[in-house]
Amino acid sequence: MDSAAPRLPVDAEGRRPAFFAEDGVDQLVTMVLELATELWVLRERVFVIEAVADRHGLPLKAEVETYAISEAERAKLEGMRVTMMGQLFRTLNRDHRPVDADGKA
Amino acid sequence: MPFELSHELKAAHERDSLARQDFVSSLRGYILNDMAAGMKARFEDEVEPALVRSLGRAVQSQDEVHAAMRKDTYFKFYSSVRYNAQEMVWRAVIPGVEAALPDLSRQIDRLSSHGGGSLSLNPDLDIPENVAGLDVHLMPGGYANTETAAAGAVYDNGLAVFSAGFMGPNLDDIGLSMSNYVKRRFPDFHPARILDCGCTVGHNAAAWAQTFPDAEVHGIDVSASVLRYAHGRAQSLGLPVHYHQMDATDLAFEDASFDVIFTSMFLHELSLKDIKAFFVEAHRVLRPGGLLINMELPPNQELEPYDQFYLDWDCYYNKEPFYRAFRDQNPEDLIVAGGFARSDYFRFTVPQFSFTDEDAFIAAVNAPPSFDGETGRLSASLNWFGFGGWKAKI
Ligand SMILES: C[S@@+](CC[C@H](N)C(=O)[O-])C[C@H]1O[C@@H](n2cnc3c(N)ncnc32)[C@H](O)[C@@H]1O
Repeated sequence: MDSAAPRLPVDAEGRRPAFFAEDGVDQLVTMVLELATELWVLRERVFVIEAVADRHGLPLKAEVETYAISEAERAKLEGMRVTMMGQLFRTLNRDHRPVDADGKA
Repeated sequence: MPFELSHELKAAHERDSLARQDFVSSLRGYILNDMAAGMKARFEDEVEPALVRSLGRAVQSQDEVHAAMRKDTYFKFYSSVRYNAQEMVWRAVIPGVEAALPDLSRQIDRLSSHGGGSLSLNPDLDIPENVAGLDVHLMPGGYANTETAAAGAVYDNGLAVFSAGFMGPNLDDIGLSMSNYVKRRFPDFHPARILDCGCTVGHNAAAWAQTFPDAEVHGIDVSASVLRYAHGRAQSLGLPVHYHQMDATDLAFEDASFDVIFTSMFLHELSLKDIKAFFVEAHRVLRPGGLLINMELPPNQELEPYDQFYLDWDCYYNKEPFYRAFRDQNPEDLIVAGGFARSDYFRFTVPQFSFTDEDAFIAAVNAPPSFDGETGRLSASLNWFGFGGWKAKI
């Protein structure tokens, strides 16, 4: 991405509502959904990769099984995992006082 | 599945973002169809019988439904998942929009010189609080009246995901359905000037230009950001629409200068005071014999308590603070207060033009309105609700 590009907000102003009485359950739902999203992203990508490989006659599945990940690749994957964690636990950094049905604190 | 935007301003999202968009779109489809049906069954089978026992009478209001449902686990998960999905809509499109921003203004400038439309901005306009002070429907930054077209791009890309395919390939099914309703229902009415108020990215105004190619079509909004985008979008689609930065409660147009005043999903984002001021203005700028037509959520008076509760979810949990106050009104009274004669009021429901064959559409247009739990809400068997009035001929 162009580093000079203006940044847009990604969170709406204000508190998130709490639907569950037990503290933390609402955040847990977010975590599960973020996880499900990323799982899907991966499945879609794998699907595309296999299709592309197939189109080019590459025995992709077999090579994946025996592939050795290098140190540099390991570090890169670690960075990707950290980003993913940030998404997964994003709600923990937001104000999370309960809001009642009228939207008032 | 979302449709891909088909005009030149569409952002080029990375593959993983596209996968996130697909996911959240499907998630919304699942929530609005499957979970919604499950929740209603849960109400009918368990919550309602218990409620009737404790009240000693039938359920009378959406507040009774809401209070009982708030304790129900199905409702909690439905709401929590739906709220998250709303956040995820925006989160899935913002990175792509951000990356596209540096080019967006250039693209709009280039498109501006190709085609018959125009853009007039008014930097001195006071931006009303319902826009300036609110991230409505959890859209980060709201309709932000900024120097860029960012808010328009976020809205358009977000709507493509949010609507989960229900708004048609160009997201303009509401505009197509409403304009074609007018064309088929009133074949002798030939509007020459049409105005869409609160047009946002102008997609539905552009649909009117498609349906009435001989008419001059205008769109107004208070946010310059969405209008810049609207202008580029319409130019890219080859539809000559004129966009103006203006407040609908204080239109800068002359008296009796339009044949049609149209709104869609607009009134429920205004305070009652502004809605009333808008109808007075609409009546003023309409020509005698002209038509006011609003696509909106159906009024609560037409719906069962459960369906009222279901639609008003947005008011409580989706940052739509004016939603219910509008839906609690009788639309007929609202337009009468604006100067329209009670006898000139009409209301209707119409199937989706994009997904209905010609004969079925014409039959529906001429049938009496029908209301049920599907009216006006995104779901597989949706139909749109509209109401309006004719300005008296003199
Ligand atoms: C939900 S959007 C309308 C959507 C659009 N008509 C459609 O069919 O998708 C509401 C729009 O109304 C605009 N708006 C709010 N108050 C307004 C006012 N007083 N005058 C003109 N536009 C206004 C907002 O900037 C926003 O773009």
